[in-house]
Amino acid sequence: MIPAKIEDVFIQITTDINGVILSIDAGKFAEKEFTLHQSVYRSCPFLEGTLEALPYNEPFLIEAMIIHSNSIEYNVDVEIFKREESISVLIHNRTNVYKYVDQLNQKRNDIFFIKREIAEKNKELDRLRKIADKANEEKSRFLAMISHEIRNPLNVILGYSEMIAEENADVQKYINSLLDAGHNLKVIVEDILDLSRIEAGKLELVSEQISITKIVETCIANFYHQQKTKEVKLEYFISEKVPTFILGDSVRITQVLSNLMSNAIKFTKKGIVKIDVEAVSETAENAVLKFVISDTGRGMTNDQVAKIFEEYQQTEINDNRVFGGAGLGLAIVKRLVHAMNGVILVESKIDKGTRFSIEISFKKVVNHTLPQKQKNVEVNFNSLKGRRILVADDDVLNQTIVAHILNKEKTVTTIVNDGLEALDKISKESFDVILLDINMPNMTGEDLMRQRDLFDKLNIDTPFLALTANTSSKDVQRYLSLGFSGIISKPYTATEFVEKIKKVLP
Amino acid sequence: MIAKKVLLVGNFGVGKTSLIRRFVTNEFSEDYISTIGVRISKKEVQYNEQIVKLLIWDVAGTSGNEKIPKAYFLGANAAMYVFDLSREETYIALEENLKMVKELSGLQNITLIGNKKDLLTSEELIAVKNKITVPIDLITSAKDDENVEDAFTLLTAESLK
Ligand SMILES: Nc1nc2c(ncn2[C@@H]2O[C@H](COP(=O)(O)OP(=O)(O)OP(=O)(O)O)[C@@H](O)[C@H]2O)c(=O)[nH]1
Ligand SMILES: [Mg+2]
Repeated sequence: MIPAKIEDVFIQITTDINGVILSIDAGKFAEKEFTLHQSVYRSCPFLEGTLEALPYNEPFLIEAMIIHSNSIEYNVDVEIFKREESISVLIHNRTNVYKYVDQLNQKRNDIFFIKREIAEKNKELDRLRKIADKANEEKSRFLAMISHEIRNPLNVILGYSEMIAEENADVQKYINSLLDAGHNLKVIVEDILDLSRIEAGKLELVSEQISITKIVETCIANFYHQQKTKEVKLEYFISEKVPTFILGDSVRITQVLSNLMSNAIKFTKKGIVKIDVEAVSETAENAVLKFVISDTGRGMTNDQVAKIFEEYQQTEINDNRVFGGAGLGLAIVKRLVHAMNGVILVESKIDKGTRFSIEISFKKVVNHTLPQKQKNVEVNFNSLKGRRILVADDDVLNQTIVAHILNKEKTVTTIVNDGLEALDKISKESFDVILLDINMPNMTGEDLMRQRDLFDKLNIDTPFLALTANTSSKDVQRYLSLGFSGIISKPYTATEFVEKIKKVLP
Repeated sequence: MIAKKVLLVGNFGVGKTSLIRRFVTNEFSEDYISTIGVRISKKEVQYNEQIVKLLIWDVAGTSGNEKIPKAYFLGANAAMYVFDLSREETYIALEENLKMVKELSGLQNITLIGNKKDLLTSEELIAVKNKITVPIDLITSAKDDENVEDAFTLLTAESLK
């Protein structure tokens, strides 16, 4: 008699040549799975196809097979011996041994895959670091380049200022140079701001009803007035298929067209600079418009074309000296076009000219009864003469500029240094309009507005304007909700400044 | 009905179990549970108007030039050698490994399958193919269910030869 324990770990059976169980000879392992006169393949699928191929009268071992019993999986080793008319099969339960093999195997394989994953991650990190390094390098290059560009006009401004201080003659000439340099500096600074705004994803495109014809005409007209030499003819053509109104951002479209126009004019000494607009395709909701800005200027080589949209790229080293600006225009154009989900292409031939084409899909105006948004272009003829204006600004230079502009308008101007002083004035006198700088010591413009209930009846209806360089739509929204009637964004021109004030006057 | 015994062999983790699961139960899992010993699945397939019962042996993957027990091949009608397109070490010694499987099994032809196509870009795939000198029968993805059925049809055809 075999001891119970051993009995449980094996079973020995005999089958016929086709795997039908003839007898169960010994052992009790998984005995329920083996029934006389039934096929052994049911519980031992590994024997199917194997038994037929077995050599005769030779012990045969197959390791690590699987048998299921009572929903438990067992790993077994199987010894087989085939005779003329019967086959004996001895099955050993080796689950315990294989359990360890299994664990070891799994560990080996897991470690392998983890190692691989780490290697991949490291590669990725390395790649990212290289990109970051490159970006950083680019930024430094950009900064170096920009500081250099800003220094130029700044030197001019400082130089002429000194000269003006020293002598009085030729003042007009010096002032003109100052203005040129200042203007140039403003373009550069605005370009940098635009570029960084777009890069930071802060560009907000508006979608309002606009007329492409009007935008193009205005653009042509602007350049027409600026054209000093009349050797370059400005032309435009707008296909009849272009819808009268579409939804888009007129400021940004104008910026794109102006940049390309100014570029074209810069590099064309003689000939034609032209804007063509056509409708490439149209559906009920959308119209794809194609703008082509072409010139007959000096053109570019293929290498130059390839780099044309990179930042601070001007085709010839000295272009920026000659033409002003920091060569940011085209980088901005490209980003703006992309922001509008458009594409821009450039073709150029040396000494023949350059052709920029832009395709943008615009939403069409579905409801034609929608009133066209009135751009506030008409000049306000109200006079500011005699108006009582309070200005609060802590910056002496700003105070001087504001005082200068307002004096010319013959207003009655009161200037104070911060919000507290302003509050004091407001509670004693009434004004026609009050201008508040936002960042002021003691009490900021915003703080002052939050105290509106302190303003007594003297200024209950007086419009307030914010003087600020914070012009994101979020900021503007906040100022308006605080009770400002509008903002005057810094930097401003005298005309803009005066117009803004006139607009809020009753 | 005829039964045919076919084996899937190759490096560990190349996706043998996954190919069989996809083929037999149309399932896929990202988890990796490495096969121990041999697991057998059955599936009846139709090939040229005859029904064939495939006895599919999912053999534990090997590592390096570790040998597959010869006993497993007893009575085998066909074998598939699977490698992982995303892991060079699984196809670096294909020629040698195929020769070894042929010797062990006595089979003339081994169906050669490159799996995990989904992990490669088309350029990477071309680069991998260029590195492999033996003819590949099919490129599959158990994950995306690409060419899996076809791979087993090839294997069935081979088993009937
Ligand atoms: N992306 C992808 N992963 C796959 C594919 N096939 C299998 N895998 C994954 O690869 C790992 C290993 O798959 P298995 O099918 O267990 O590999 P095996 O060849 O049976 O491995 P061993 O049993 O150890 O020999 C698992 O995590 C699967 O999810 C595939 O086509 N694409
Ligand atoms: Mg497996």
